[in-house]
Amino acid sequence: MPVSALTQVTELSEDAHACLTFGEADDLLDLTAAFVRDGLASGFRVVVLSDSPQLAAAKLSWREIAAEAAVATGQMVMVASADGLVGPQGFSAGQAMGWLRDQLADSRREGYAGIRVALDMSWALRPMTGIEELPVLEEEIAAAVGGAGMSVLCGYDRERFDPVTLALIAPLHSHAVAAATYYDDPVLRICRQYVPPGIRLAGEMDFLAAEALALALGEAIRIDGDITINMANLSFIDASSIRMVTDAAASLDLSRTMVLRCRPAIETRFAQLGADRLPQVSLVGVDEG
Amino acid sequence: MKGNDRRPDPAGPSDSAVLADAEADMGDGEARLALDQAFDSGTLYALRAAVQAHASQAGLPESRTDDLVIAVHELAANAVRHGAGAGRLRMWERDGAVHCQVDDSGSPASGEDAGSGGNVADRWPFLPGHGLWLVRLVADQISVFSGPGGTRAAIVFFPAGQDPSVSSPD
Repeated sequence: MPVSALTQVTELSEDAHACLTFGEADDLLDLTAAFVRDGLASGFRVVVLSDSPQLAAAKLSWREIAAEAAVATGQMVMVASADGLVGPQGFSAGQAMGWLRDQLADSRREGYAGIRVALDMSWALRPMTGIEELPVLEEEIAAAVGGAGMSVLCGYDRERFDPVTLALIAPLHSHAVAAATYYDDPVLRICRQYVPPGIRLAGEMDFLAAEALALALGEAIRIDGDITINMANLSFIDASSIRMVTDAAASLDLSRTMVLRCRPAIETRFAQLGADRLPQVSLVGVDEG
Repeated sequence: MKGNDRRPDPAGPSDSAVLADAEADMGDGEARLALDQAFDSGTLYALRAAVQAHASQAGLPESRTDDLVIAVHELAANAVRHGAGAGRLRMWERDGAVHCQVDDSGSPASGEDAGSGGNVADRWPFLPGHGLWLVRLVADQISVFSGPGGTRAAIVFFPAGQDPSVSSPD
């Protein structure tokens, strides 16, 4: 079983106040993408707050989310932190809550059945007046989501926020979400990828982690449709692991595709071992992450 | 870490003949020992990092460095998985060519095949898609032999563009 996933992001209720503590930027992006995708599919208003809305939109688009189209229709709103939670005089919980309540009121007025708000909290790492009120904001969000048809996903970088703050903030949420992780040590990480569905390998993969890879692949091929093995941050993979991936691809029905996203050196390795001759495999080269 | 006590002993009587062979090979010309590192399943990552660093230093281009790293990894992985569970890598450079030699520490950990000499193709199959098949694809030369003292795999990477069969200084 995958470990360290307290709640799957795909299983959040519509009045959830979820805390996503992430170790890698890919995790924040991937889980936010899943939260956004499911919100759009349910016909909800979706608000995404980040330091760089343009960059966030571009990254969501790569993950097969039609961000531009949804923004054009008004179903999706991309907001800069400075225009949302943070005011010109710094941060205050009251002002931030006021912004959030406005978002909720707007979405109701425009007829949306619900609203999903994804907050990249990295703005709170910058020194600013009033930041000590951050726990007050989280408490007020927790009180506001109940019965309001609003769910909020707060993303905290666990490498950059200090442990004391995280220990204080995390319990104020109703759910803790994390990527389902099959293997995690300083050399290798194997976790589920939610959007597009599949798995993500980062670091160096060899036969010593074969069991975890087999489990991850086994779960991935049970989902319907195409699957992606995202190896953009993988710098090494050995022959037995390549075989395991290609065997999994070969087991797929011919109507399905396994997309292998990898750096050129890894792409070459897959081709040398014959992966490109499998009709189910689509090798996609990427420069990095 | 389990397996460290299986480090090959250069003075071991059963290894001496094969080792003498290697010293003779290295002692010829401008050979320079770049790396001499014991490995087991817990140190394959460190082995790859060391090979990568030394191959870059030896001037191999990036793609050939990647090839050398995977070739050494696959040989070492064979020693770990199908041989004694541990082994030793020696890497040296001569006339611009990079030589690597992987020795496993002796009889297979499981005890099977112990003492059977000759070619080890039965135990280390060169099948398409397998590690050794990949090694043969990327290395300019490969030889694998086993004796009573264990298995030795040697690979050579020549400088780009040189034909190994005609570039011998002898």
